[in-house]
Amino acid sequence: MRKTFLLVSKFIFTFIIAISILSSCQSSDKKKNNEQTELIESTKKDVDPKMMEDFNKSKLIFYSLPSPLETAMLIKRSGARYDEEILNPIGNVTNYNTNLKMALNLGVYSADLSYTSLFDQTQSAIQYMGCAKKLAEGLSIIDAIDENTMKQLEDNMNNRDAVLEIISETFMTSNAYLKENDRAAISVMVLVGGWVEGLYLASALTNGSMDNNKRLLDRIVYQKLSLITVMNLLDSHPENEDIQYLHGKMNELKAIFEQVKIVNTSKVQSETDKENRVTTIKADSETQISKEVFEALINKVTEIRTEFVS
Amino acid sequence: MKNNKKALTVGLLTLLMCFIAHTGFAQCASFAKNVGKIKLGEFVHDGNYNATVLGAGDTAELYKTFFANQKYRVAISKIENLPNIHFRLVDKENNILFDNQEHDFTDVWDFTVESTQMLILKLKVLDDYDMETEITQGCVAVLFGIEKEKKKKKKK
Repeated sequence: MRKTFLLVSKFIFTFIIAISILSSCQSSDKKKNNEQTELIESTKKDVDPKMMEDFNKSKLIFYSLPSPLETAMLIKRSGARYDEEILNPIGNVTNYNTNLKMALNLGVYSADLSYTSLFDQTQSAIQYMGCAKKLAEGLSIIDAIDENTMKQLEDNMNNRDAVLEIISETFMTSNAYLKENDRAAISVMVLVGGWVEGLYLASALTNGSMDNNKRLLDRIVYQKLSLITVMNLLDSHPENEDIQYLHGKMNELKAIFEQVKIVNTSKVQSETDKENRVTTIKADSETQISKEVFEALINKVTEIRTEFVS
Repeated sequence: MKNNKKALTVGLLTLLMCFIAHTGFAQCASFAKNVGKIKLGEFVHDGNYNATVLGAGDTAELYKTFFANQKYRVAISKIENLPNIHFRLVDKENNILFDNQEHDFTDVWDFTVESTQMLILKLKVLDDYDMETEITQGCVAVLFGIEKEKKKKKKK
C-alpha cells in the first residue's frame, strides 16, 4: 500500500517537474543577447519611471522576423520578375529526413509558395503547398496543412487574396503548434529557413548586379536589421545542437553584413493622422555597400541556402 | 486499499490540473486565429504568431523591422475580462512614436515608415483590474497585417 503511494507520488513529482521544464521553455524567448540589451538600455532615457519599472518587472520578448509572405511581397513590390528556376525543386522534398532539414525546408517551401502565389503561378503554388504539407506531416505538425487546405487552395486559385489568406493561416498554425507544444526550437528553424530562402530569392533576382534593381538591393541591404532578430531567436535555444549549427551559419552571414552600413541621418519622428488612424514614421536613412561586399554577401547566401536544400 | 484509491485520485487530479494549465496556452492559437485576425480587416496577416498568456500588470515587447513603403496594421487582442492594453511604438533610442493612451487605448492602428527601421512595440496590460471578475490571466495576441496591393485599374 505504502509502496503504491510512493510510486504515485514519484509519478506526480516527475510529472510536475516535466511540466515546469516545459513551461520554462514557453518563456525562453525572455533571454536576450548583448546587442538587444544595448537597445533595451538605451530605452531608459526619457521614459517615465513608472513605465520603466513595469517593463523591468517582466520581460517577455517576441522577435518578429519578416515572414515568407512579407518577404515575397517585398520582392514583388520591388518590381522583380518571376523566375521558377531559382526555386527549390519540388522533387527535393523526399530528401529531407531529419528534423533540421524538414524544418528548414518547410520554411524554404513556404517562401517559394508565397513567391509563386504572388505571381499567380497557380499550378506551382499547389505543388509547393503539397511539399509544405509533406514536411509539416513529417514534423508531426497536426492540422496545419490538411486535405481541406489543399482543396481550399485549389478552389480559390483565381482569387489571390483568398490564396494569401490560406498561406498566412497555414504558416501561423504551424508556428503556433510548434511553439505551444514546446517545440519552439523547431519553430525557429522553420523561420530561419524561410528567411534565408527569401534572402536567396531576392539575391538571385539581382542577377549579381547592384544596378539592375535599386529597390531590390535596398530590400537585401536592410535584411541586416532582420539578421539581429534571427540571432536573437537562435540565442533563445543555446542548448540545441541544430540551433548551434544554424548559429554558426548566421554568424558567417553576420560577418559580411557588418561591412554594410545603415545610418539614420536624421532623428526618427512620427506624424499621426487621427482621422485615418495611421502614423507615419519619418527618418532619413543612408546605406552603403561596396561591390566586393555585395558579391561576398550573394555568394554566402547562395552557399548557405544550397546547404539547406541539399 | 482505501489509501491506494486516494493516491490514485490525487494523481489523476494533478494530471488533470496540469493538462488544463497546458491547454490554456494552446487556446491562444485559436484565440489569435478567431479573434485577433478579424481585427486586421482587409490587411493580410503576415503569418507570424505572437501570442501568450498575460495578466494584469504584465508587460511584453516585440521587435520588428518595418520596411519602407509598406503599410502595416497592428492589432492587439485580449480576452474580454482583461483590462485595456497600453501600447507604445518606440525606436531604438526610445523615442515614443505612437502611444495608444492618446487614442483611447485603441487596439488597432496603421503604420508606414519612410525608411526601413527596426522598431519596438511595448505593451502593458493595465492593472485597473475589475475585482468582481475572477479571471486574472488570459490570452493576448499581437498580430501584424500588411496592406494588399491595390488592384490596377483596367484601361478602357
